Formats: sequence, structure tokens, C-alpha cells
Amino acid sequence: MAEELVIQGSALGKQFGENVIAVEDANFTIPRGSFISLVGPSGCGKSTLLRLISGLIEKSGGDLLVRNAEVVGPRSDIGMMFQKAVLLDWRTSIENVLLPDEIRGTIDTDAKKRAWDHLQLVGLKDFEFSFPRQLSGGMQQRVALARLLQTGADIMLLDEPFGALDEFTRERLNDELLRIVEGPDITTIFVTHNIQEAIYLADQVFVMTPRPGRIAAQIEIDLPTPRNIDMTTTPEFNNYVQQVRDVLAGHLDGQPL
Amino acid sequence: MSDIGSDGVLAGVKELSPIQKLAMHGLVFLIIFGGWEVGARLGYVNELILPAPTSIAYRLYEMFFVTGSIYWHYIITMYEATMGFIIGVSIGMGLAITAAISPVFRRYWAPYAVVFNVTPGIAVTPFIIAWFGFGWSSKIALAALVCFFPPFINTLTGLLHIDKDATELFRSLGSTKKQFFWKCQIPSALPIIIAGLKLAMTGALIGTIVAQFFSASEGVGILMQRFAFRLNMDGSFAALIVMSLMGLSLFTLMEYMDYKVLYWRRHSRMEEVGSKRKRKWLAENGDFSA
Ligand SMILES: Nc1ncnc2c1ncn2[C@@H]1O[C@H](COP(=O)(O)OP(=O)(O)OP(=O)(O)O)[C@@H](O)[C@H]1O
Ligand SMILES: [Mg+2]
Repeated sequence: MAEELVIQGSALGKQFGENVIAVEDANFTIPRGSFISLVGPSGCGKSTLLRLISGLIEKSGGDLLVRNAEVVGPRSDIGMMFQKAVLLDWRTSIENVLLPDEIRGTIDTDAKKRAWDHLQLVGLKDFEFSFPRQLSGGMQQRVALARLLQTGADIMLLDEPFGALDEFTRERLNDELLRIVEGPDITTIFVTHNIQEAIYLADQVFVMTPRPGRIAAQIEIDLPTPRNIDMTTTPEFNNYVQQVRDVLAGHLDGQPL
Repeated sequence: MSDIGSDGVLAGVKELSPIQKLAMHGLVFLIIFGGWEVGARLGYVNELILPAPTSIAYRLYEMFFVTGSIYWHYIITMYEATMGFIIGVSIGMGLAITAAISPVFRRYWAPYAVVFNVTPGIAVTPFIIAWFGFGWSSKIALAALVCFFPPFINTLTGLLHIDKDATELFRSLGSTKKQFFWKCQIPSALPIIIAGLKLAMTGALIGTIVAQFFSASEGVGILMQRFAFRLNMDGSFAALIVMSLMGLSLFTLMEYMDYKVLYWRRHSRMEEVGSKRKRKWLAENGDFSA
């Protein structure tokens, strides 16, 4: 069975102003249903690459296809989540989750039912009518995740979604995220600074290096699924960690600090 | 309970029981006004400079309950201030919204608003009287002029300083500019807009009263002026207190609006509004979990 490619980039580039080359010569293909981690040091262009794919910014060169169509702007099959939950403080959880439907004018009983179910799915039963300021950081991200699910997008771009949370909460949310996006339908790109996290979650890790921002390696992660935390101590796992480190170190060696 | 690290100006004040607190307030009140009263009665303070509190209180009683002479002045002043407020705020917010929507307008027109602001509005009073005459319209015009700027600058700031991620979220959801404006920009800006309205309210009252000082046939400002000309100091002070009362009532009104509108900034209000919305939701949609 041939893999269906949802996202394809070739010689993709993005330059800001005269000097900043945020992304250069990115070549990649992302099959439907896969989970890609994008890992790399701060400023290497991870967010820029994500924003290119989401259609929020325009590329400066190369090609970028989503479902075989050139990306020209935001599209409804792509949803995003950020490090901050970006909830509207004056709306309850359920009202925040319904925002995508409100904007698209698709609010009806069915949409409300789905919003309700999404909140249950992310573990926010009994918090449907809480305001963001009544919720912890982790719960706020859960609302943001429910809102992302509500968009119905099957391509999810997550920019360090749990990066601001404590380690325990982050690990739990990572596992819940895996459970939600697993299966052949949802394609996920997950940005992180954390090498272990990147490997643990992904089918494939893209390692990015800075100045100019390049995808220096694409590492297939051949660990059994579903993942569990015990795998992170296996030799195979550590082998992957070492591979990623080598890519980053190899790049950084000759670089001025 | 000790209150080390407690809030603001009250830090370091020892926690008292409610009765003790009341007693403290009473004591301080007594020291200030008792001392003042005694000083005035014993002739240490010239009644022509600072009348005794009881004389002022009597004058107030007379104005409100014997002759009732204050009401018309009160109403007309409130009317002028409120109209000035409404007009000034409308213009200020209207310009701010235009400036927020149109970069060209912002770039080439808004700077005049800033020049306008650094010119003391009160100093324009003679022109305003010349243009609008001696009647109520000049009071309203000055009130509007004085209170126009805070809503303008606050609304503009609030509308423009929107979280970058929120902007991207709305864009990625395919939001129109209009949807973004109503669902994100306006509510995000409300706290700072309301702060601007509070300043404007005070400004409107000041503008009205200053214009009345200049020339008027009715209003608390001219009432005070007349008392002062006749060296009737209790009357002047009584008028001053009436002005404070006006300020206080308008302030309370604004605080109430703040309390009602900005519910998401207060924990008790969030609980209240949250459970109200829950009841409404359940009434409309039933319980999906059931
Ligand atoms: N709008 C912009 N205008 C100019 N330069 C930009 C812009 N956005 C990003 N950059 C620059 O592009 C480079 C890559 O930025 P990007 O935000 O993609 O990095 P990142 O890998 O996401 O970093 P972090 O891990 O800190 O989030 C940086 O040098 C950044 O300063
Ligand atoms: Mg980033």
C-alpha cells in the first residue's frame, strides 16, 4: 500500500528581511497519520516552519504542498496549538471550544455536543463552565487541545504545546495526546526542545539546526507503539537520543557561540 | 493573624476585629472633625476662612431639605457633565476605532490628538464660551473636550495591543477582520477602555464646573461662585461637598459598570457568571452527559 503524503516540502525557504534566513532548503515528505517531532535549539526556525505549513506566513522560495495543493493561506484541515493556551478569558471552557464553529458559522446542537464530548475527552468533565482564570496551566492547555479537536482539522501543528508546564503534567498530557492522535487519520507535527520527548512521541524526528535554519536529519523512530515510559530506558531509545545529539553536536562544533 | 507581605498601602497595619476597626475609623473621624469644630468655635480658625463642620452641615441640610434650592443646580450639572461625557467618549472612542482599523488614519491623523492632549483643555474655556455662548452648550462642550482623550488613547492602545498568538489563532481559524474585532479585540481591550472611561468621568465633571465658574446662570459651580463672592464660606463649602457627592456618585456608577462588565477579572464574579451560563446552557441544550 502506497503511503499517502499529506505534506511535501522541497527546497522550501523563508527569509525575514535582508539577513535572517529562518528556514533554508527544507526537503521533507510527511505521510498521512504520522507523528513528526521537530526538535532543535532555540531560534533554529521550528516555529517558522510550522507557520509556513499552516499558511500563516508566505514562503520565500521552494515548494510546499498540502494534499497536493500549494499552501496559500490558512486552511480548515490544519489546526494549531501554541505554548500558551490562548484562551479568551471572558469565555467559559465550552465557549472557548466552540470558537471555531462560531467563526465558521457552524454552531448547532451537533457542534455543541461535539464540544462537550471533546471536553470530556481531554479530562475536563465538570469544568465546562469554568473561566480560563479558574483553571491551572495544564487545564488551560487541555481546553486549547479540545478547541483544536473541535476544528476537525486532521493536520495538527503543535508548537511546544506543553512547554510551559511542569514535567509531571507534561508527561501526562503527552500520553493523552498520543492516545488522541493515534490511528491513521491524524497527522501531527510536534515542536519541542526536548530530545527525549521528541523521540518518545514520534514516528519520525526532524532535527533542525540554526543559522541558517535547516532540517539536518530525519530520523525514523522504530520503537513499538503504543509507547510507554519504560521504553525510555532501553538501549534502542538511548541510541536514538545519541543520534540526535550527534547531529546537533556535529553542527554546533564548528560554530561560534 | 499576621499580615506580613499583605497588600499595598495597608501593609503592616495590624489586623483588628471589625468592631475595633469601626472604633478606629470613628476615632480618626472624631479627631479630624472634632478638632476642626472646636478650633472654629473657639476662634482659633477664622470662620471666614474655614467654617466649622456643623455650620457646613447645617447649610447642606438647608439646601437639600429646607429650601430644596440645590436640586436644580445638581440636576443641571449632572446633565451637562453626563452629556459632555457621552459626546467626548463617543468622539474619543470613534476616532480610536477608526485609527485602530486604518493604519493611514493612525499615521497621519492621530498625532493631532496627541498635540491636542498636551494642550491643557481647561485653558480653552474662553474660546469655548465665545463659540458656544453662556448656556449649557458651552459646559457640555468643555466637558466633552476635557474628557475626550483618555477614552481615545486607552481604546486605541487596547485595540492594538492584542496578543500575537491570539491573532494567529483567529487567522488560522479563518476569522474575518470583523469577527476578530468583535470576538477578540473589543473584549481584550475592555479593561483598559473602562479605565479610560473612569478618567473621562472625572474629566467631564471638572470641565463642566470650570465652565460654570466662567459664566453660568445655573449649576453647582456658579452656586459656589456666588456664595464665595458674598463671603458665605459655609455655603461655598457646602457646594464643594455637593461636588464631591457628584464625583462620588459618578465614580460609584463607573465602579459598578466595571464590576458588571469585567466579570472575568474577579473570582467571585466568575463563579456567579459561570453558574448562570451553566443553567442557561442546560435549559437550552439539556445535559449531554446524561
Ligand atoms: N516575523 C519575524 N521577523 C523577523 N525575524 C523573525 C520573525 N519570526 C522569526 N524570526 C527569526 O527567525 C529565526 C527563527 O525563529 P523561530 O521562531 O522559527 O525559531 P524557533 O526554532 O521556533 O525558536 P524557539 O525554540 O525559541 O521557539 C529567529 O532568528 C527569529 O529571530
Ligand atoms: Mg518557536
